[in-house]
Formats: sequence, C-alpha cells, structure tokens
Amino acid sequence: MKPTRPRRLPHRGWQLIGASTLLLACAALLAMRADATESAGDLRTVDQDVQALKKELVDLNRDLFRLEEELLYPASTQVAVFLSLNVGTFFALDSVQLRLDGKEVTNYLYTQREVEALHRGGVQKLYLGNLKAGEHELVAVFTGKGPHDRDYRRGTTVKFDKAVGAKYVELRITDRDAALQPEFAVRQWE
Amino acid sequence: MDSSDHAARARLTALVHTVALAAAALAGALCFPLLAHAAPAAGDEAPGFALKDLSGHNQRLSEFRGEVVVLTFWASYCGPCREALQSAGTAVAAADGGATALGVSLDRDAVRAASVAASLGLEFPSLLDQDQSIGRLYDVQHLPTTLLIDREGVVRGAWARDPVSAQQLSEKIREHQP
Repeated sequence: MKPTRPRRLPHRGWQLIGASTLLLACAALLAMRADATESAGDLRTVDQDVQALKKELVDLNRDLFRLEEELLYPASTQVAVFLSLNVGTFFALDSVQLRLDGKEVTNYLYTQREVEALHRGGVQKLYLGNLKAGEHELVAVFTGKGPHDRDYRRGTTVKFDKAVGAKYVELRITDRDAALQPEFAVRQWE
Repeated sequence: MDSSDHAARARLTALVHTVALAAAALAGALCFPLLAHAAPAAGDEAPGFALKDLSGHNQRLSEFRGEVVVLTFWASYCGPCREALQSAGTAVAAADGGATALGVSLDRDAVRAASVAASLGLEFPSLLDQDQSIGRLYDVQHLPTTLLIDREGVVRGAWARDPVSAQQLSEKIREHQP
C-alpha cells in the first residue's frame, strides 16, 4: 500500500488562515487600545478631580483665614506692624522687640533663613492686634550686629493716630551709605 | 432680736457662703484649661519656638520641618542628661540624614552649659533657654526630657527622667523616616 502523504492545504486555505489571524490580531489591538484610552481617560478624570478638590481646599482655607481675621481683628480696631529690609549691609538683624503703649507685644528672634528671606524682598507681619481709636505709641527695639561687627541696639518710637479704619505700620531698615550706618524708618498707612 | 431672726440670718449667711464657694469652684474649673500647661503628648503638635544656640545663632523649631527631630531638654547639673544627649547624637548619626538633634539647656548660666556641651563633644546645636520659657511651654517636669518630633512637627515619643537609649531612639526615628 502506498503511504498517503498528508494533505496539504491549498494556497487559498493558507490565505484564509493568515487573513483571519491578522483580523484577530487587529481586533485584539483595537480592544487593547480602547482599554488603554479608557483607563487613561479615567486617570485623567481622577487627576482632574483631585486637582479641583485641592483648589477648593485652598480656596476654603483662604476664606476661613479671611473670616477669622475679620472676626478677630475687625478693620475698626485692627493694627498691623510689618518689617522689611532694604540691603542691610550695615546691620545684621538678630531680633526685634515691639512695645505698644508701654506693653511688650512681640519679641521676635530672626534665624539666618528669615534674614535671607527679608533680604530677598520679603515683608514680615510682625504683629497683628486690636487697638482703640486714638493716639498710641509704638516702640521698636532692633538688636543685631552693626558696622564693624559690633553689637548694635537701636530703638525707634512712633506716635500714631488710630482712626476708624485699619492701621498699617511698616518698619523699614535701610542703609545710610553716607554715614555708613543703618537707618530705621517708619511708614504708616490707613 | 428673737431666735427666729438669728436662725434666718444664719441660714442666709450659709446660703451666701455656699453660693460663693460654688462660684469659685466653677470659675476654677473653667479657668483650669487656660492656666494649665500640659506637656505635649504623642500625637500633639510640638509648640513652636525660637532660641539662640551656644554659638549665638538663632534656631527656630519650625525650620526643621521635613526632618525627624530629637529634642532633649537638659541642664549642666543633671548627670543623666549627659547620657540622653549622647544617645540623641548617636541615634541621629546612625539615621544617616533625615534626622536632627536639638538640645535645649535650661541653665541660667550660658558658660556652664557651653562647657558641658563642649566636654560632651556635641555635634548638634544646643539652645539656651535661660528664662526657661520653653521649658514651661513644654511642661518639663523632669530632666532629662527627650521628645521625638516627626517630619510634620508632631510629637511621636516622649521620655522623661530616665535617659532614653540610642537604640530606642534609632528605632523610633526609623519608623518616621521616609
């Protein structure tokens, strides 16, 4: 008996198998891509939600802060004292003591980082409080190192009238190049 | 004046005294939380402060946020404090970054504090609390007192009277490191 040779698929059969495999692969790829797009879309939505929540939280925090400030320090009695440095070559700030109407309200020690922040243009809110309308006296005592690295302590006094609106006082340390000395200036805003 | 008047007056006096006593007790109970300064317990935020260190630099606790801080209250006259300070130094050195130690000396005499710190060879800043205001803020009852403050500024461990070992501190630091 003659051995039978395995039947070979005709050329058309191979073509059919190839085409269906290709189709299947394409379908699988399309399905995978759709899945990926869907999950990427989901991720994007979650990320957007998180960002929106974060923004809401920041807004809420800001509103609460404002509300707290308005309740605790109403504009009619509010007094704020700020401190800023301009250059500061002749004075290395160490601490500031504030006395309002003879009563110490702040005694602030400055770290190296804080002084650097002030040198970069930062303005610090040194004190926020309430005062009755009328005349008040603010005494600021600055301590630090003056010219030639000597201990330096200097006080500045300002009398101001507190009216109905909020009062802002800025203490500004600047360099007086002509005298090679620091200068302590006070500015007021209503 | 008859005896019934006397009795009425006595009753009135007793009533007034009772009301006054009750009012005083109530006022005391209401004011106690304001007057009492409880030590920060585990889970409480460590109160912020700024002090000068022995080399004259100002240090503020909040500037160490992001690092685990071992805060040790000590004094030159306290023997066990030396062990606590050395444990803090060893544990922080073993942590290999991400942790820092701060000592707070309650000595009124800065020279004595400096000489003890120098004799111990402390490699971390020791702050001077000469008026002991920070000691009161943290309600330090015993020396040494060591606090472990996590990277968010929350107290995570407290040891008082007996000096904490470097190993205990190292384990606690590791728990709170990233």
